[in-house]
Amino acid sequence: MKRWLLTNVMIVLILVLVACGGAAPAASEPIRVGSTLSLTGPLAATGAIHKVVGEIFVEKLNEEGGLLGRPVEWVMLDDESTADKAAALYERLITEENVDLIIGPYGSGNITAAMQVAERYNMIFPHHTGSLTYAYTYKWHFPMWYTGLDTHKTTPDLLFDALDSTGTPPRTIGFVVNQFPGTMFMARGREGDGGAIQVAQEHGYEVVLDVDFPFGTTDLSAIAAQVRDADPDFLYLSGLGVDGNTLITAMNALNYKPRGMFVQWPAPGPLAEAGEGAFSVTLFEAHEPFLSKPGARELNEEFGKRAAAAGITYPVLDVQGAVSWATWQTLIAAVEATESLDQETLANWLLSNKVDTIIGEITFDPDNQNYGPDLQSVKQVQDGKWVVIYPAEFAAEGATVVYSPCESTTESC
Amino acid sequence: MQLFGQALISGIFLGSLYGMIAIGLTLTWGMLKVINLSHFSFAIFAAYITYQLSTSLGMNPFLTMLVTVPLFFLVGVALQWFIDVFRVDEFMSLLVTFGLFIILESVMRWFWTADHRFIPSDLNPYLGVSIWVGPFALPIPQLASFIAAILISSLTMYLLHRTYAGKALRALSQDREIAGAFGVDHRRSGMLLSGLAGAYAAVAGAFIGMIYGITPTAAIEWLPVVFAVVILGGLANAFGAFAAGMLIGVTDHVTSVIADAGMASLVTFVILILALLLRPDGLFARRIAE
Repeated sequence: MKRWLLTNVMIVLILVLVACGGAAPAASEPIRVGSTLSLTGPLAATGAIHKVVGEIFVEKLNEEGGLLGRPVEWVMLDDESTADKAAALYERLITEENVDLIIGPYGSGNITAAMQVAERYNMIFPHHTGSLTYAYTYKWHFPMWYTGLDTHKTTPDLLFDALDSTGTPPRTIGFVVNQFPGTMFMARGREGDGGAIQVAQEHGYEVVLDVDFPFGTTDLSAIAAQVRDADPDFLYLSGLGVDGNTLITAMNALNYKPRGMFVQWPAPGPLAEAGEGAFSVTLFEAHEPFLSKPGARELNEEFGKRAAAAGITYPVLDVQGAVSWATWQTLIAAVEATESLDQETLANWLLSNKVDTIIGEITFDPDNQNYGPDLQSVKQVQDGKWVVIYPAEFAAEGATVVYSPCESTTESC
Repeated sequence: MQLFGQALISGIFLGSLYGMIAIGLTLTWGMLKVINLSHFSFAIFAAYITYQLSTSLGMNPFLTMLVTVPLFFLVGVALQWFIDVFRVDEFMSLLVTFGLFIILESVMRWFWTADHRFIPSDLNPYLGVSIWVGPFALPIPQLASFIAAILISSLTMYLLHRTYAGKALRALSQDREIAGAFGVDHRRSGMLLSGLAGAYAAVAGAFIGMIYGITPTAAIEWLPVVFAVVILGGLANAFGAFAAGMLIGVTDHVTSVIADAGMASLVTFVILILALLLRPDGLFARRIAE
């Protein structure tokens, strides 16, 4: 009888110990954060930036004691720049790798695909670079490409305000549009609503050129000839990557230099080298007042070192790196504040609190598809470097908008 | 009129580059029965070497061909040796060279990272510089690539039709056993042709490096159009590849200015389908044994 009792007590004790172990993981058991990045394929150049930033963040986090007293492990997979692969890998991260948290991949297409997986498993989905704002309706997506829901109106409006502020705004404008979904949305809006072309007309600019070209086009000579023929006061290239360089090279061959030029999402290094005077938009550049954000200066230095070591040709912290950092900051802020990994708890906290990040104070408005205001500013290549020039409170010291439609021809003035 | 004329010129120049890449591909496919997908990777690899020699050693981008052309001739020879030794047939060559395509992309990414690479303008003095003929600009690197494409297609036609090695190659492509019975060494002839194709890829790569930015995935951007050029030109027809390249280049750019750049691919591939229906051997096909 005694032996029977002793055996039962032992079994109960073992079960209690096992149960306790399941409820509270050991402090050494890592919290696993899953994501994919485009480490190969056409988006890999920018994917590499997000990889460097994520590694710095997780390393720093672990050096400072981890999260909820546990180390953090970043389970990062290569989505090969393809949306279907990204979706499949997020499925794997959630169901097989059993990650506790996820962060979005790089690029609008991949983000859109991965978000559907996150929604299916009710995981919160902070993401850094999604531009198809209208398409993101998941109640727990948290966008850090913090450009506002109506970015197809606010982005061009900001740029044209900057041009208007010179007192000599363009009278004519030409549009060259990459048929990539994000750049089409930015130029043409959606269902006749918004888009840079419409906003330009609202600013009183006459549209004298409007041409598209397919994504992946390597030769823009014919487009360059059309730009020269139209000779707009300002050229708006709704393109990405090296589209700006490709068009500038083709225009140079025709001895044509636009009097002002905007590129939507350029590869920053190549355009800084070849596109003196070119405009773009940003959420962060490596100068004051952006470097005054907590940790920004240190991150800028560390990123510079690591990016150079990784062979990144423009090892300067800019909008891509900064939004990546801000995404990690936001996720970790929610976990630390709630001391929880429960997805609903985290989502509710994010939807009702502000997060102070490297790109500014972030809120997520559920009545606005979780978007807040547009925090972008206008930047320009000046003396071979990108500097913010508008609005004045974000401008680099002494930097102003450099633009005049009268610079190279007298007829249009 | 000026716009149309300029589009025509830029289309011819782009088309000649398509043709230059296509010549190597069409020769190995048509004569050696090797569908060499890695041909595109050779071109981009050569573009990277052009970039590296220019930026590290300050070499004139045109002079880098003194290094890349012999190098990729040897690469082509080595590839054909491998294909011979392992008896890789036409279909398997597609798979094997696709594997090589992927491997080379990884090697390029490992060495040069995924970042866009441009030869800086101070080391690439001809970029953006043009010769003017009346109102029309002839950009120097593109003009040079056009001349190179003419030289390559002419040289190839001469080699195939006026030299013993060329006649041997044509005989081999007709009937390897009979050609062998007449003393034609299929292995050596095949390696020579494959080497030439590699050398042509290197020339095309040098111009790609000079004119465009490069990434490890750039090879895939050239693949569909150049395949269309090969089909349109007719297999093993160097002149056909050159002419078809220009046809597609001109179609692309003229469509861009008349209609819309987005329509260019549509028009190009409609032409390809019509050509396949009406002239299945290609618009410029000729019987190479004749």
